[in-house]
Amino acid sequence: MTRKIAALALGLTLVLAACGGAGEDDDGGGGSAGAPGNTAGFDGKTIKLGVLTPLSGTVAVIGQPLTAGNEVWFEALNAKGGVAGKYKVELVQEDTQYKTDIAVQKYNKIKSDVVAFTQVLGTAPTLAVLPQLKTDKILAAPASLDALWVREENLLPVGGPYQVQAINAMEYHFTDGGGTTSDRICTMIQDDVYGEAGQQGIDFAAEKYGFTVTNTQKFKVGTENYAGQIGALAGAGCQVVFLVATPSDAAKIWGTAAQARFAPQWFGQSPSYTGALAKSAVAPYMQQSVLIVSEGTEWGDNSVPGMTQMVADATQYASDQEPDYYFAFGYNQARAMTAVLEKAVELGDLSREGILRASNELDTVTFDGLTGDYRYGATEDRNPPRSSTVFKVDPSKPFGLAKVKYNFSSDAAKEFEFKKADL
Amino acid sequence: MTTFLTNVFAGLALGSTYALVALGFVVIYKSTGVINFAQGGLLALGAYLGYTFADNLAIAFAVSILLACAAAAIVGASVERLVLRRMVGQPPFAVIMITIGLLFVIEPLITAIWGFDNLPLANPWNIQTVEVGGLVLGVRDLWTIGITAAVVVAFFLFFRYTRMGLAMRATAFDPEAALAQGISARRVYATSWAIAAALAALAGITLAAGPGGLSPSISFIALAAFPAMILGGLDSPAGAVLGGVIIGLAEALTRGYQDQLFSWAGANVSLIVPYLLMIVILLIRPYGLLGTKDVRRI
Repeated sequence: MTRKIAALALGLTLVLAACGGAGEDDDGGGGSAGAPGNTAGFDGKTIKLGVLTPLSGTVAVIGQPLTAGNEVWFEALNAKGGVAGKYKVELVQEDTQYKTDIAVQKYNKIKSDVVAFTQVLGTAPTLAVLPQLKTDKILAAPASLDALWVREENLLPVGGPYQVQAINAMEYHFTDGGGTTSDRICTMIQDDVYGEAGQQGIDFAAEKYGFTVTNTQKFKVGTENYAGQIGALAGAGCQVVFLVATPSDAAKIWGTAAQARFAPQWFGQSPSYTGALAKSAVAPYMQQSVLIVSEGTEWGDNSVPGMTQMVADATQYASDQEPDYYFAFGYNQARAMTAVLEKAVELGDLSREGILRASNELDTVTFDGLTGDYRYGATEDRNPPRSSTVFKVDPSKPFGLAKVKYNFSSDAAKEFEFKKADL
Repeated sequence: MTTFLTNVFAGLALGSTYALVALGFVVIYKSTGVINFAQGGLLALGAYLGYTFADNLAIAFAVSILLACAAAAIVGASVERLVLRRMVGQPPFAVIMITIGLLFVIEPLITAIWGFDNLPLANPWNIQTVEVGGLVLGVRDLWTIGITAAVVVAFFLFFRYTRMGLAMRATAFDPEAALAQGISARRVYATSWAIAAALAALAGITLAAGPGGLSPSISFIALAAFPAMILGGLDSPAGAVLGGVIIGLAEALTRGYQDQLFSWAGANVSLIVPYLLMIVILLIRPYGLLGTKDVRRI
């Protein structure tokens, strides 16, 4: 009899546990498998997600298309019923102006209204809000390819980090580009964390492939005259230059190089490029001398399913959207966050803790060729994509880029280890 | 030798832009005693106006420059008329704070009208080059140097031979005595602002004609030109030009010889050099290279 009661009690416990606590969880979020209960940012019908991005200021050229990518993904998802086919998603957007103090202020303004942040744009704003994300146990997706994010539990990065781009650029140079390890390979990098990430990748590649970095030129963002740096690179006889910059500086750098008739093989890390460059006076020089290392495929490439779907969604929900790399990034980010939300709904818990748990239990998320698949899960097990695509500048293409080598991964990139940083 | 000459040329071109900006600072300071922190905003506004004339309205580039300078001059004079005239006789600190406020008003205004995108300014220079004795020179850089030289000559002629130039010099020297002689200080102030804004527009357009195109951050150059103005002497137009050229050359040569001579000092020593030069010269000559020593009775 006692055994029967014990078995019944155990069975009841298991059933209750399995049913979860939809609407029963006092601290919000629900139980473990039923419908998730109401919680901050979720009223039982709509899931609210935060967006901290520069919608004004000099970096708005990135923040606006990236947010448009977020919006289009979720509008298409909502049209299909929403997360798990039943919960619509709404974005709560705040303008950070790409300033860390404003990012923190806006984070605090909306953190109680959202279940997670589907976008925090930029390395510096992400670093600024990270301590509070940890304290508040909130998940956020950084719009930045910095390797620092890979091992952070509160962050949900997408895409191959900058180091991977740099390593794969060298792989391309030695395999398809006809280069040898005796070439004079140089770097020109922004004097900040973003620049260091690219340099770290090149240094790793130098060790793996056995070449020497002949010369490195650093510069401060917004430098007006690059004659000195270009002169130094030319003087060092550089045959290959890996550039880590943002478009405004990259245009001046390539313009100065064109004027100096210095034409090595340039590899530009993805944020160095924007579509406007393909329509600028520097375009002819770039067509001859510049390759861009990025991810995914060229805009409108119907051989890649993810691109076909994204262009269709963009046409339907943002018909005036120009082809843009950052739009695709935002679209991918939203897709990764959706995978987390689907998992959280599956676990019956949309609370902050529930979403972190869902992120930890997530497996590989595929992006249908728009970017490499990302193995999520516990931070120590995360494995970002090691793939890159090399593009050449072609003004006749949308966004001015034509793919040269699509979605390849070098052995060296696969060997690169992402370590947890003390943030 | 080619490397040295290339760096000198780059320094002269950069210094010419600094000189144009610094001249704008000096013109206003000389006549009103105020450092105009909105100069960077006027520079950006002038460049965007140039873009509107050259690209949106497809007006010839040379005409667009003139129209942009004229439009900027009207804006400058209007700012003086509507805002700063009310501050005549008030402490300089309050007026300076107003110019800082103006900068923060102009910048969002620009982005509200033209947006944040990098805009390519249609111009005949772009990245064209000419080769002189084995030295490759940028056409835009040559034009910037030439325009600055022409402006300096025009300035000299204006101050020396025109009635308004004389009025401006008199007002700068002794406002009360000038007033007693029938010189309108209001006209002098308005003219100063108009000239400074036109100079800023000119500097902005020459900058935007480069490969970097036009973006709201173009106004930052005014901060870089600041040491040029201080170094040359706050009240000296000739000092502004000299200061601009010195700072431009110092920056370009330090950058060019960074690897050989300054690698021990970090990657961006060329950005520190203008300020180091400014400090050293101010220690020796507190009023700048060509500034007027302020004599006071004790």
